[in-house]
Amino acid sequence: MTDLPIAAAEEAVAATATHGNRRTAPFIPLPLTAARATTLAGAVITIASTFMSWTYTTDFPGDLTVSGYPGGLQIMTLIGAILTGVVALGTFGLTGLRWLTPSRTNNGVLLLALATLGTTWYTVIDIAAKLGGLANLDPGGFVAFIGALVLFAGALALPLDRHPEEPADAEYYELGRAEGISAVVRGYAWLREARLHHSELRVPDARKLNRWLQRLVIVVVYALGLKILTFGLATDYSDIFIGYLIVLAVGVWGLSAGGLLKQFQQLTQHNKKFSSTVGVLTAIAYPFAQNNELWANLGASVLIVGTVALGLNIVVGLTGLLDLGYVAFLGVGAYTAALVSGSPFSIWSGTQFPFWAAALAGMGAACVFGVLIGAPTLRLRGDYLAIVTLGFGEIFRIIVRNLDGVSGPKVTNGPNGIAQIPDLSIFGYNLGDTHSVGSFTLGRFANYYLLMLVITIIVVLVFTRAADSRIGRSWIAIREDETAATAMGINGFRVKLVAFALGASLAGLAGTVFAHVTNSVVPDPYVFSGSVPPNSAFLLAAVVLGGMGTVSGPILGAALLYVIPQKLSFLSQYELFAFGIALILIMRFRPEGIIPNRRRQLEFHEDETPAPGNRPMGDDTVPATTAGA
Amino acid sequence: MTTTIPQQPTPADAAAGGTLLQARGVIMRFGGLTAVRNVDLTVNSGEIVGLIGPNGAGKTTFFNCLTGLYVPTEGTVSYRGTVLPPKPHLVTKAGIARTFQNIRLFANMTVLENVLVGRHTRTREGLFSAIVRGPGFHKAERASRERAMELLAFTGLADKAEHLARNLPYGEQRKLEIARALASEPGLLLLDEPTAGMNPQETRATEELVFAIRDQGIAVLVIEHDMRFIFNLCDRVAVLVQGEKLVEGTSEVVQNDERVIAAYLGEPFEGAPADEDGTPAATADDASTTSEQENDR
Amino acid sequence: MHTLPQQLANGLFLGSMYGLIAIGYTMVYGIVQLINFAHGEIFMTGAFGALAVYTNLPSSMSIWAALPLMLVGGAIVSVLIAVGAERFAYRPLRNAPRLAPLITAIGLSLALQQAVFNWYPHATAGKHFPQLPGGPFHIGSVDVQSGDLFLLGAAIVCMIALGVFVRSSRTGRAMQATAQDPDTAKLMGVDTNRIIIIAFAIGGLFAAVAGVAYGLKYGQVKYDIGFQAGLKAFTAAVLGGIGNIYGAMLGGLVLGIAEACATAYIANVPGMEQFGGGAWAQVWAFVLLIVVLLVRPQGLLGERVADRA
Repeated sequence: MTDLPIAAAEEAVAATATHGNRRTAPFIPLPLTAARATTLAGAVITIASTFMSWTYTTDFPGDLTVSGYPGGLQIMTLIGAILTGVVALGTFGLTGLRWLTPSRTNNGVLLLALATLGTTWYTVIDIAAKLGGLANLDPGGFVAFIGALVLFAGALALPLDRHPEEPADAEYYELGRAEGISAVVRGYAWLREARLHHSELRVPDARKLNRWLQRLVIVVVYALGLKILTFGLATDYSDIFIGYLIVLAVGVWGLSAGGLLKQFQQLTQHNKKFSSTVGVLTAIAYPFAQNNELWANLGASVLIVGTVALGLNIVVGLTGLLDLGYVAFLGVGAYTAALVSGSPFSIWSGTQFPFWAAALAGMGAACVFGVLIGAPTLRLRGDYLAIVTLGFGEIFRIIVRNLDGVSGPKVTNGPNGIAQIPDLSIFGYNLGDTHSVGSFTLGRFANYYLLMLVITIIVVLVFTRAADSRIGRSWIAIREDETAATAMGINGFRVKLVAFALGASLAGLAGTVFAHVTNSVVPDPYVFSGSVPPNSAFLLAAVVLGGMGTVSGPILGAALLYVIPQKLSFLSQYELFAFGIALILIMRFRPEGIIPNRRRQLEFHEDETPAPGNRPMGDDTVPATTAGA
Repeated sequence: MTTTIPQQPTPADAAAGGTLLQARGVIMRFGGLTAVRNVDLTVNSGEIVGLIGPNGAGKTTFFNCLTGLYVPTEGTVSYRGTVLPPKPHLVTKAGIARTFQNIRLFANMTVLENVLVGRHTRTREGLFSAIVRGPGFHKAERASRERAMELLAFTGLADKAEHLARNLPYGEQRKLEIARALASEPGLLLLDEPTAGMNPQETRATEELVFAIRDQGIAVLVIEHDMRFIFNLCDRVAVLVQGEKLVEGTSEVVQNDERVIAAYLGEPFEGAPADEDGTPAATADDASTTSEQENDR
Repeated sequence: MHTLPQQLANGLFLGSMYGLIAIGYTMVYGIVQLINFAHGEIFMTGAFGALAVYTNLPSSMSIWAALPLMLVGGAIVSVLIAVGAERFAYRPLRNAPRLAPLITAIGLSLALQQAVFNWYPHATAGKHFPQLPGGPFHIGSVDVQSGDLFLLGAAIVCMIALGVFVRSSRTGRAMQATAQDPDTAKLMGVDTNRIIIIAFAIGGLFAAVAGVAYGLKYGQVKYDIGFQAGLKAFTAAVLGGIGNIYGAMLGGLVLGIAEACATAYIANVPGMEQFGGGAWAQVWAFVLLIVVLLVRPQGLLGERVADRA
């Protein structure tokens, strides 16, 4: 194949080399062929081990006692090992698999090996710990343990793309006084150089593929995503879910190191309309794929918190205003909807607005509160807004609690809240009833999931369209440098107030659905930090974790933060603690969140100009030139 | 680089030579410190005016008073005959655009977006139109983009339109700041040390750029440390020392003024004028001119 | 009981506590322009630190002998946490975008609160805090608890000490210089990092004193007391003019008295009968904050500072 020259070049590069700003070096010095052989052997051993029995008893979650086919956590190890092996083969130059690592880096192999090692060792150690001792392990367990280790060691011996070498006279002021101790400095320098470095490696342009092939890829990836998601939700033990998380998180990291994610983003960027349509269809398919009310409920809840987080992202991510009482606007929407829902506990129990009117009322009320809070504070330094909104979030709950007819006028029934909110009925379709669509049945939560999906799409549209316009640019300008922005003719106060009110309105909109999904509204969820998800700290964590200023970030962040504690119930006690630590660590080490904003988008553009050696993704489409690594 | 600047016809261009900016008796006090004392300054259309002075003379403070960033303790600033409100965005809207001494770009926006932000006051589209995206929105957006690209071509940044502003080299960041300011279609451009940190070639290019801007009918008021740059460029130069305007006049007049030289050499400043009306008394002194030139690098 | 002097006294005690905590906000803000959201939690950990000392002392020990030890214990905990937060959480972000340290502060606040909730023994509910014996004293028509007297005394001592420190010590003057202009102060040879750490430490120290006083006053501490107290203290700091240490104390007093009076007298206002009492106290404090921000955003003693453009 035409690819051969690179393979030869790689061979020549062998052990340690620095060319351009790419530095490749293995962690374990071993001849390249030996390293490759070890990696592959490790993969084979690990795969084989999953067909053996790992433990004697069936006490361990998922049945790992059966020889002949894998079960439970063994499936995670199997998937990890197969993926590692296949990607390794592709990276080593096996024709037909080369597309798996478009950037030709071994880092992907290492990370996938790490995923395999992680899940395998987790399983083995978990067996020993849960059942009390290594004696509970069958030989298969030991084989898996060793196989994964061999796999990982082999991957460590491959030439890896590493952080560029530090100059000899580099200063490490972050060490403070320890800078005087040479051992500490050397260790620190080694750690810095040990960091993997692959984000800037160039990948062949996926947009050169046949248009239909591109679309096929998008459909397949989305379908696969849905399958992976439902698979994860279907895991019935938290042990298996942890294994799943390890493989998924580290595995996706590995694939992105190889450049696949970058190429996929090129594709979605290139086929924007198509990929968003497929995305929506996939989301619609979710309740059909599951047909389980519990998961539909989970989906609806994730969409609610995700949508609210996205609304918050307009305020925090785009405009750079820290709103710590955002959940109160959700509450305003929910209470407004409850009051006009026709609930017997509402003071206006006779009035029942149609949904569109209730939604508008909820948005309007939240918007009014947004302006009331924003108007006095947005003229001042941004920090004041943070504390005023924090206060407002607290005050909202207290007021709602007091308006019970005893401590204050009777409006909200105080701590008891407004119960028995009737289900919505839209165009005669009662969302509380079960409906049949073809061979599928849609239960109550599936109905609300679909309604919420519509709302999410509306909010996504509002977000993206607003962000890419005169007003959105002025928000970002304010976030970047408020003084310069006003010097460019932007009325800072007005523009910020629009962002703040828009964010509040969107939360109010989500609140109207929230009231109906939960059937009742009570003051307690509307706190700054609490054990139930829609609280301000949760929303902020979702935005920060997912990526400030992005569309998919907050939704992904909210989904992760919502689903993981649900599946790992033993964590729930420490959830808030983990949020706090996560906020600190993210700000310190990855302030852009999981999905970085703009930067990546930009890398595409920078790829366009100087890319003489772009190689198409498939091996058989266009006569390929060699990709200059 | 010097393609035509695509300047929309500004109303007062007809009255060339008329007064654009007039600052009268501007005083700025911070607590007990008076940073700017009773400064008058006028800029006529089509002019390039320089503002020089040693460090801490209050040049940037005066600039901030002009652009509404600070509210002057006393005095007024008027533009084309109307008194400017002390709000930066209204000043920009009225037709005065500025750059900053320490570059203040929107670092995480692209080059093109930076310029588009500059178009803010000259466009109307609000939130509603952004969400609904009617034909009017697309038309306005396209027009803004075209204009922004023209400006980028004018400043020589067109091929970097999609780069992040923070990834630009220093000299290009300065250019981008100027392009961004021009996007607001100003009648007067205020440049705060546009060549700070530049090498001689870059300074030269900036000089040409400023001339090109002036040729498009935009008056320029520039603060600079680099004397050679100022004296090459400016029709008129004002010297600010310790918050007071010491001298104002043509390059030659200022270059040869004893007090300016004294102020720059850091000699005890005794003959400080109580009022600056009688200032433009210029005496030629060759010896101190050379020493002044040594001093300015 | 509900006489005006009594309400004023109640407000005075409450306000001294707000003021003590507010000093931490205001000093840190004055020097690094950061709202340290975790400061309320530092106050809370100070109270728990003191409580931990008390529970480990022999039960025969009198409260008067234990009190200094408790103060020291609480102060050590609070100061260590405050200084550690500065060193490891805030300092690396000093040149980051404005939002980053704020979010870090929020995270720190959550983490500290939950750490006490999860790992301090039996802290999920309120913990009993020892009480000072004696009292209530009757001074004129006013009833005063001994805990209140301690609080007032501590606030006065702390304020005077701080005033003397800032005015007459070398470090205090360096502190003022850094607050004015950190860059110039640095050029003049002031070790700004050290000054910042000292500001955090003094804030932590005062918060610990306030924490002990809180425990003595209410007889109970809980993991979530820091949130409310922090919110109030910040309001006090803004009220007095953030960055001004005397303003913080004054703001605390004004807020405390306003709150006490609102609790007692709002219900007497025609048409407001239902909005009085303790249930609405928070709401009125918040309304006061909004009003101050509208009318005098620089606070009672604050000056308008120039933006260093």
